[in-house]
Amino acid sequence: MEIHLAPPIVQEGQQLTELRQKVREFIRAGIADATLVPTINSWLGGWNEEFSRSLAAEGWLGMTIPVEFGGRGSTFLQRFVVTQELLAAGAPVSAHWVADRQIGPSLLKFGTDYQKQKLLPGIANGDIFFGIGMSEPDAGSDLASVRTKGVQVEGGWKISGSKVWTSGAHASNYFFALARTAPVDTDHRHAGLSQFIIDLHSPGVDVRPIVSLNGHHHFNEVFLDDVFVPDDMVLGTIGEGWNQVTSELAYERSGPERFLSTLPMLNELLLATRRGDLAPDPELGRYFARIMGLHQVSVSIADSLSRGEEVGTSASIVKVLGTTTEGDIAEFATTVPGAAEGDASLDTLRALGDEALLERAGFTLRGGTNEVLRGVIARGLGLR
Amino acid sequence: MSEFGALDQDLQQMFGDVFGDWREARGPAALEIELDRALWATLVDLGISRLTAVDGSGATWIEAAGLLRAAARTAAAVPVAENDVLSGWLREQAAIADDDLIHSACILDPSGSARAVPWASQVDNLTVLWPVGDGWKLADVPVSQFHVTPGRDLAGQPRDAVSIDLATLDGADVPSDVVREYRLRGALARSVQMAGALERIVELSVEHATSRVQFGRPIGKFQAVQNLIADAAGELVIANASTDAAVLALAAGEVGLDGLELRVAIARSVTGHAAAVIVRNVHQVHGAIGTTFEHQLHEFTKPVLAWRSEFGSLREWDTRLTELMVASELDLWAFGVPTDGR
Ligand SMILES: Cc1cc2nc3c(=O)[nH]c(=O)nc-3n(C[C@H](O)[C@H](O)[C@H](O)COP(=O)(O)OP(=O)(O)OC[C@H]3O[C@@H](n4cnc5c(N)ncnc54)[C@H](O)[C@@H]3O)c2cc1C
Repeated sequence: MEIHLAPPIVQEGQQLTELRQKVREFIRAGIADATLVPTINSWLGGWNEEFSRSLAAEGWLGMTIPVEFGGRGSTFLQRFVVTQELLAAGAPVSAHWVADRQIGPSLLKFGTDYQKQKLLPGIANGDIFFGIGMSEPDAGSDLASVRTKGVQVEGGWKISGSKVWTSGAHASNYFFALARTAPVDTDHRHAGLSQFIIDLHSPGVDVRPIVSLNGHHHFNEVFLDDVFVPDDMVLGTIGEGWNQVTSELAYERSGPERFLSTLPMLNELLLATRRGDLAPDPELGRYFARIMGLHQVSVSIADSLSRGEEVGTSASIVKVLGTTTEGDIAEFATTVPGAAEGDASLDTLRALGDEALLERAGFTLRGGTNEVLRGVIARGLGLR
Repeated sequence: MSEFGALDQDLQQMFGDVFGDWREARGPAALEIELDRALWATLVDLGISRLTAVDGSGATWIEAAGLLRAAARTAAAVPVAENDVLSGWLREQAAIADDDLIHSACILDPSGSARAVPWASQVDNLTVLWPVGDGWKLADVPVSQFHVTPGRDLAGQPRDAVSIDLATLDGADVPSDVVREYRLRGALARSVQMAGALERIVELSVEHATSRVQFGRPIGKFQAVQNLIADAAGELVIANASTDAAVLALAAGEVGLDGLELRVAIARSVTGHAAAVIVRNVHQVHGAIGTTFEHQLHEFTKPVLAWRSEFGSLREWDTRLTELMVASELDLWAFGVPTDGR
């Protein structure tokens, strides 16, 4: 047998390189005037609506949304290059992250004209932010076991249940909620699920903070008590929720956020070595090489996806390897000589490293755990 | 974006068939690998023993890499890398005419010696580089003129010590960049060979996990075994991608030697670390049978482990990459993802 795990690698065209250069200049200016302070995990932790709007002003938000819906009509690869650059720099992109990465594309694919008119322009100019309401107390990896229920009523649906780990729900305008709209059929567990676009300020919605182990607040519990959702805010087709949710997974799993969460820290390790504050350590080269390898794969997957091709198991591979590597980098950065007790020249590294070390536990969980993804890879190899 | 690796399908098929047919017909594996001159003659007949010759088929490193991979996937006992992308290229640098002999290559020290020269005892000629003052000389010399002490690497591949009286050699002057590129070519060739063999190794693990039955089911049904293979597959993907990126850089010829060194260092680091995980996991999946000489697994794992230490060991490449990063003035991301065509 021969196995084909990933699409062939690609070389970037001139136009994309020029765009990359432009984003770098923007980032340099932002760092110079302190509107951009590099952090690790900046796509989950760095909520900064003003920064999101400054990107919109450059035309770098809602890039793939067609012009008629307030977007830029740019290509998927152009968006990919912009997000890569922003993540690598540790720019605060979390406010618009979910809306820009997956809500926009889902609306374009499954949304009605009304929904597109209503939501896409706000997504593209940084006025409308979104959360994802998939996980529940009893539905983690086993997402199909969600219990939130949708009951049809006059003119729409009443939704009841509780969502958990909903990133950014406290600051967002809407979220996509996955709910059961037909009783469980044990032979077809994935049937009978539907997606609803819920205004988080509707009556019956109660968002309560969940504090993370480092004291930060980025995710929430969201209680839904008979929340009315009009028919025109049902996403796609009732009963097709599972297919709709899973159709976008390859984008989510192979993206640069899966290996660049701690890149600003790896860069700081390099700068400290260049300054002579750390001795050159071959581990630095090793992790850099690994990130570059992941970058190559991620780009080739993006290229394939942009042509509508199947990317097989490679998206899951990027996520498993990438999230493990970004965590390993945190380990490396926080175990160098002088990690805790060295002098002030290592303060920046220390701050980033401590932050990363405490955030890393989430890296290999969010968006589907690595254990579950290894199962996906094994299936791709014909083992199950 | 433009696709790379667009190795012509027919050519790829041909490479696969040549080595596949050879492997089916060949005798049992040997502890000590001997150059297969019959297979070599087939390669010469097909015009692929000297694939990248400038006046030949117009093949680039992309085709050469396809050939190296195909050979490594079958553990073919022929010096395809040494003859073509190393010796062949060196001879072109000194305008030495091509011939149908089998060549390998090495760098001699100022006393005229070299250790662990690939295939030296079994080829016809050695293309040698040696330092003279501030410069370098190059010559293509019959092996019979050297004193040869046979040796083997851990895979049983010929790695021989050679020595010669440099005063008897008449060489062409070559710039030191030739020496630098030779080393990078050698390092990249080993990365390509490793990637090819690693791919075969992962395939073998899938085959074994679907056919070996324990506790009433194929062992591949156990999540623990799936995890071993999934992790091996992941390492294979990044090893392939970083190796292909370096091949592309060399084939495109646009990056210069500094850019090439960066790509080769990345490829060797990623592929070397991948080899550790893949070899370990895949042996674990195979159980005791995989530790025997009878089973073919070692024909692929041993060369990988040997190649990993040639043209620079893994730690040397990690160290070199670190040096390159520190010496640059760019941020890490801009260094790795240049916008100036470096
Ligand atoms: C920082 C962060 C942000 C998040 N943001 C959101 C969000 O915005 N919206 C949202 O809906 N969700 C969000 N999540 C939730 C995330 O999707 C879940 O954590 C994830 O799906 C795993 O579910 P769980 O935490 O319940 O773990 P569990 O499913 O209970 O898993 C616990 C352990 O068991 C393992 N396990 C479970 N099933 C299997 C199996 N079949 N085979 C092997 N191992 C298995 C898991 O791998 C894990 O190691 C977020 C999570 C984190 C950490």
